[in-house]
Amino acid sequence: MPVDPNATAEITAFRWVPDFAAGLVRDLRIRWALEEIGRSYRVRLLDATNPRPLEYFQEQPFGQVPAYRDEQVQLFESGAILLHLAIEDERLLPFDRNQRMRSVAWMIAALNSVEPIILQLLAIDIFNRGQEWTKERRPQVVEFLETRLGKLSEALGDKEWFEGHFSIGDLMVVAVLRQLRHTDIVGKFPNLAALVARAEARPAFQRALADQLAVFKQHEPEAA
Amino acid sequence: MTIPVITAYNWSPDRGRGLVRDMRVRWALEEIGQPYDVRYLSWGQQKESAHRARNPFGQVPAYEEGDLVLFESGAIIFHIAESGPGLFPEDPAARARAIEWMFAALNSVEPVIWDLIIAKIIEGDHDWTAARLPLVEARLGSRLGDLSARLGDSEWLEDSFSAGDLLMVSVLRPIEGSDAIAKFPNLEAYVARGVARPAFKRAFDKWKAGQTGETPAAFAQPKHEPEGEAA
Repeated sequence: MPVDPNATAEITAFRWVPDFAAGLVRDLRIRWALEEIGRSYRVRLLDATNPRPLEYFQEQPFGQVPAYRDEQVQLFESGAILLHLAIEDERLLPFDRNQRMRSVAWMIAALNSVEPIILQLLAIDIFNRGQEWTKERRPQVVEFLETRLGKLSEALGDKEWFEGHFSIGDLMVVAVLRQLRHTDIVGKFPNLAALVARAEARPAFQRALADQLAVFKQHEPEAA
Repeated sequence: MTIPVITAYNWSPDRGRGLVRDMRVRWALEEIGQPYDVRYLSWGQQKESAHRARNPFGQVPAYEEGDLVLFESGAIIFHIAESGPGLFPEDPAARARAIEWMFAALNSVEPVIWDLIIAKIIEGDHDWTAARLPLVEARLGSRLGDLSARLGDSEWLEDSFSAGDLLMVSVLRPIEGSDAIAKFPNLEAYVARGVARPAFKRAFDKWKAGQTGETPAAFAQPKHEPEGEAA
């Protein structure tokens, strides 16, 4: 099992989060990649329900999780951490130059062309739920998102993965799309839904998810 | 390197500010001293299948270099930074931190800036925007505050200018001169330092020289369209 208190690689994660975020917090992306390459890591837990301690901002200037460190680097931003883990490992990034660069492009597309629209929808459906403006704004955010996902779906076509074999591009696209699990939007694009299902069926994903959820379960607040 | 070809618009709805994303790629190419050619599209051609084959989202830029066809300006800049000296430090740990700032720009800072632009320009005439705007401004202010605290009085985000600074300055440029950034004088000065670089100036002049297209009828009124900014 890659979670090992004596490992040299360390990630930060939250001790507990509400149900809407469980299984989506971004340390999952790093746990998943580490599982794919069988690299052990230890976890340092932070409290999500209070502001992060000031010294944490030295590691992660925006106070988010995950931050990562190993014997070589100290890093934040899940995209940068994934690239660090993948850069010399063909299981996460093809060695062929063109496929390698295009896999990076898919990872960045997930982070910069898809996720920002999804976050707009989460702001409406979760973080500001019930506010009057969310009702009026939602249809146009959904339309914009579905247009973008339509193009993503077209680019995937009937391929198993975006570029040859599974890479950090697929990992990030799937991690980003999973944030729509409270809606039926991904289901409107059967090949994207199948991509998510294929990726979630990977043993490495299953282990990463189980490990994140186990921490939350262990620290669950007592019912009020 | 085979001379790369980038795809750019010959007209942009940004009133001469050079905010479309081919500017970032031009700037990166100028920083490493790599000559390039430009394939110009008229506004609207980005949606056609010839360009969609290069960029699946139908945006600019696309980047072609021999048999490599690349999209997403962040990925193109990563590739350029790996191709020549000047944008990535040689030390692997320092290089990883430059990459970290690229992602911070693309995923932690740019989305909150878009939010403000969308709210103010694209959705500015909806009644409900007034109720939403304070949330957007608070989120942006908090993110920029964190960035400002980290930058402190340093010249660049790490020891020397890197692809991380190139992208961070690029994502901050749309709010240059706005109240949102005026609260953070060190960020304003940081952006000013970035755009004062000779490579930026060369990129901007070439971009400007390429703006030869007619204003499309839909833009005869001064109004932006989402994909003009997010291209």
